[in-house]
Amino acid sequence: MDPSTHKQTLRDLPAKCKNDIERTSKSIMLNNKVLHAIRELIDAEPRTVPQIAQTLAMDTAEVLIFVSAMKKFGEVVEGDRDGGYFRYGLISQL
Amino acid sequence: MQTGKPLKYDVLVIGGGIAGLQAALDLADQDFTVAVLEKDATIGGNTIRLSKVFPTLDCASCITRPKMAAATQHEKIAIFTDCDLRSLERQTSGDLTASIIRRPRYVDRDKCVGCRECEYGCPVYVPDEEQGGFTLRKAIRIPFANAIPQVAILDAKNCSLCGRCAKVCATGAIVYDQNPEAFVIQAKTAVVATGFSLTTIHRKSPYSRCRVRNVISAMQMERLLAPCGPYQRVIRPSDGKEPASIAFVQCAGSQDKHLDITYGSRVSSMYATKQAMLIAGVLPHADITIYHRNIRASGKSDEPFFQNAKAMDIEFKKAEIAKMAQAAGQNVTLHYQDLDKKGHPASREHDLVVLSLGMAPQWNPTGICELPTADDHFIQCSRPQTHPTVTAMAGVFAAGAATGPKDIVDTIAEAGTAAMEASNYLKRAVHQNEA
Repeated sequence: MDPSTHKQTLRDLPAKCKNDIERTSKSIMLNNKVLHAIRELIDAEPRTVPQIAQTLAMDTAEVLIFVSAMKKFGEVVEGDRDGGYFRYGLISQL
Repeated sequence: MQTGKPLKYDVLVIGGGIAGLQAALDLADQDFTVAVLEKDATIGGNTIRLSKVFPTLDCASCITRPKMAAATQHEKIAIFTDCDLRSLERQTSGDLTASIIRRPRYVDRDKCVGCRECEYGCPVYVPDEEQGGFTLRKAIRIPFANAIPQVAILDAKNCSLCGRCAKVCATGAIVYDQNPEAFVIQAKTAVVATGFSLTTIHRKSPYSRCRVRNVISAMQMERLLAPCGPYQRVIRPSDGKEPASIAFVQCAGSQDKHLDITYGSRVSSMYATKQAMLIAGVLPHADITIYHRNIRASGKSDEPFFQNAKAMDIEFKKAEIAKMAQAAGQNVTLHYQDLDKKGHPASREHDLVVLSLGMAPQWNPTGICELPTADDHFIQCSRPQTHPTVTAMAGVFAAGAATGPKDIVDTIAEAGTAAMEASNYLKRAVHQNEA
């Protein structure tokens, strides 16, 4: 593909993928909101998944998915136990 | 878009799982050129996604990864990931012609160095299917830690085209406008090693009526047990609680004519036993029960393995599950008929339930080539008693779970047999040409 055609193809892409971009942008905003809320909450002190879920009025399974992703990308660290649950805190607290 | 001339190899191996890689390595070591075609973004198949294997409890990655690396580095083997086989036909010249579509990865395979900078930069989080849906991944990512090739893949449906990945990529590997690529491979013979997939949880009526929390599949449990799993420990997915009582339900998608899966999976008894033993190792105080109709421990060292599990206080309960229901505290109540007590109805509560699902063929050759399938939909071998890898299509051999459920050891052995059949076929073809 010659450079000018390539540039035009790239310029046309956003219009071509308009629906996907809109849906993804909405999902980024929602996810960022949740991530931010979890970050703020566990910055104060490490908490268990049910504690986070209760404070944020979220489903526990949903909270666990976000916490595990934050752990995977190096934001969150697993702490000590509280009964059958583990507390999660920000890695920056270490 | 059709590109270039047909690529020519001695052998085409369809499927880059443990069977396909074994067959490819055995043939390449005999100096035959081999093309391995894989539909996924990584080779390794189901085996690389396991935690450990029975009955030795060896690390699955330690078994699979050396074969993956050896195949990738072998000078006689070419690996094509992200590929869909559109047709496989025998030409009048005697060669097999495979028409293939390579799906775009939106990343230049030669430029990407697998540094994961793009993944860290990407703002999009979506459920990670490679981790059983228990965590999130980015829209652009390396599929998983021990994937080969270590090349990023962009999920275009979940991309916001924000350009962050391209900005952070030091090698300029991101190609937003990459297109599918059509190409043709010509080979003299082929080995079909397309493996299996598991049936879905909700296909069987006792489990489909309601979506019960903390009911997972055995493959999801493999991810929980894997060192690079979503939580790096066994906790239940509904709330992160360490389970104190875990149940395994056998034949949860097999030996059932209503599901059109009348056969057993041959391996579910042993993999449930393996998982139970691994859990007993990491959660020594947990109660573990395996609900089964019969335990099949027919392979080498399987019986001592089963006896070891019983000695570890794992309970084997002969029962038929009638219903599952959500109990208090996100637990699961299993209602069952106790087959040791003349089918007496009983129920018990567990923190986590693992279903051993049925094994179904991963690939259907209908419309792609003339390979016949048997009543169970797996590829039919024409002489199963004497030549179990020979199919009705001349010069096309089948190995591993493509022909029916089997364990890793049998899969590897059968892949070696298919490689030998293919090698003999190639040598006969050379002799015929010389004559």
